[in-house]
Amino acid sequence: MDTSGSVVSTRAEEQSFHVRYRMEVSCLELALEGERLCKVGDYRAGVSFFEAAIQVGTEDLQVLSAIYSQLGNAYFHLHDYVKALEFHRHDLTLTRTIGDLVGEAKASGNLGNTLKVIGRFDEAVVCCQRHLDIARDINDKVGQARALYNFGNVYHAKGKSVCWSGAEPGDFPEEVMMALRKAAEFYEANLEIVKDLGDRAAQGRTYGNLGNTQYLLGNFRKAVTSHEQRLLIAKEFGDRSAERRAYCNLGNAYIFLGEFEVAAEHYKRTLQLARQLKDRAVEAQACYSLGNTYTLLQDYERAIDYHLKHLIIAQDLNDRIGEGRACWSLGNAYTALGNHDQAMHFAEKHLEICKETGDRSGELTARM
Amino acid sequence: ETKSSAATSSQMFHSDGGEMEPETMEIKSVSEFFTKLHMGSVMNRQ
Repeated sequence: MDTSGSVVSTRAEEQSFHVRYRMEVSCLELALEGERLCKVGDYRAGVSFFEAAIQVGTEDLQVLSAIYSQLGNAYFHLHDYVKALEFHRHDLTLTRTIGDLVGEAKASGNLGNTLKVIGRFDEAVVCCQRHLDIARDINDKVGQARALYNFGNVYHAKGKSVCWSGAEPGDFPEEVMMALRKAAEFYEANLEIVKDLGDRAAQGRTYGNLGNTQYLLGNFRKAVTSHEQRLLIAKEFGDRSAERRAYCNLGNAYIFLGEFEVAAEHYKRTLQLARQLKDRAVEAQACYSLGNTYTLLQDYERAIDYHLKHLIIAQDLNDRIGEGRACWSLGNAYTALGNHDQAMHFAEKHLEICKETGDRSGELTARM
Repeated sequence: ETKSSAATSSQMFHSDGGEMEPETMEIKSVSEFFTKLHMGSVMNRQ
């Protein structure tokens, strides 16, 4: 009996198996390194490893789904939303093809978040709904809460996307108010679940965004209540960035409640934390807010002090708009103090910056 | 909001309607999947 043929074919099969096995291992190793790099925030390097993993290829569709998903997330964090969309779409198609419902829910959530960022709100809503439907079908409470939070974010962003040039919170067109009210409903529904689950981190995020929604709706007391909860949770976790955000948002709400002294105290905490976190842009914003608050309190000396601090940082950061605003505010404060030379100096500087930046409305104000 | 140095009162006190919380992206971890797979095969052997 001639066995040489079957021996050759067995060897070829063994070789093919060995090659495929090596490919699977290489793909997995590359993907694991990509994952490690993304975890430490090096998304650019992470992307290179994930893309190399795709080049090598895998027959394991769960691994491929994880790679697509993480590539989408890495591009999302790099603000490359076209690429993020592409990979989250690949992930959605793949999970649907293999009938992986949990994977499909996750892909829908990520796709919804990406579509929201680029302003495609109607498509984002469809994705959020799919995420929510699957989570309900499989009785996944965590998934439901996350879908509701994403839904809230889509309506919040939709409300803010409509042009409301110069209108004050609570005084926006009905279309904006409707979207914001929907956002608040979704955040409330999310809170019910995350409170049941005892998930404090999720509660913190939702309270923060609910506070911003209430602020835009003009419900400033409710905004304060939410932001105070956010602040409490941020302190529990020692999350100083979240703490800083909460102080700033509380300051804004107290301004609209007419409680300027309280607002100033909150902005001062924002400033302290911005300095600790070495965030110069936020430090500048806090100084600007403090300058404006002391102007409202008619304490022009302090207002000038903060506006000068704002001006110096804006110059360091080469932020011409910020510099222009600081000069405009300084001009007003010196006028209030009767120091006309300084007032004229800053008014002229403001005009010069407006001309340079092509800021027509600023230029008209400066000429007045 | 139009960016102008002639700021309205809302522009004076907030940037873009308040500071938002981060998005929550869903994570599909290769290492978790690999660990589960590995644990599964160990359990099966036992």
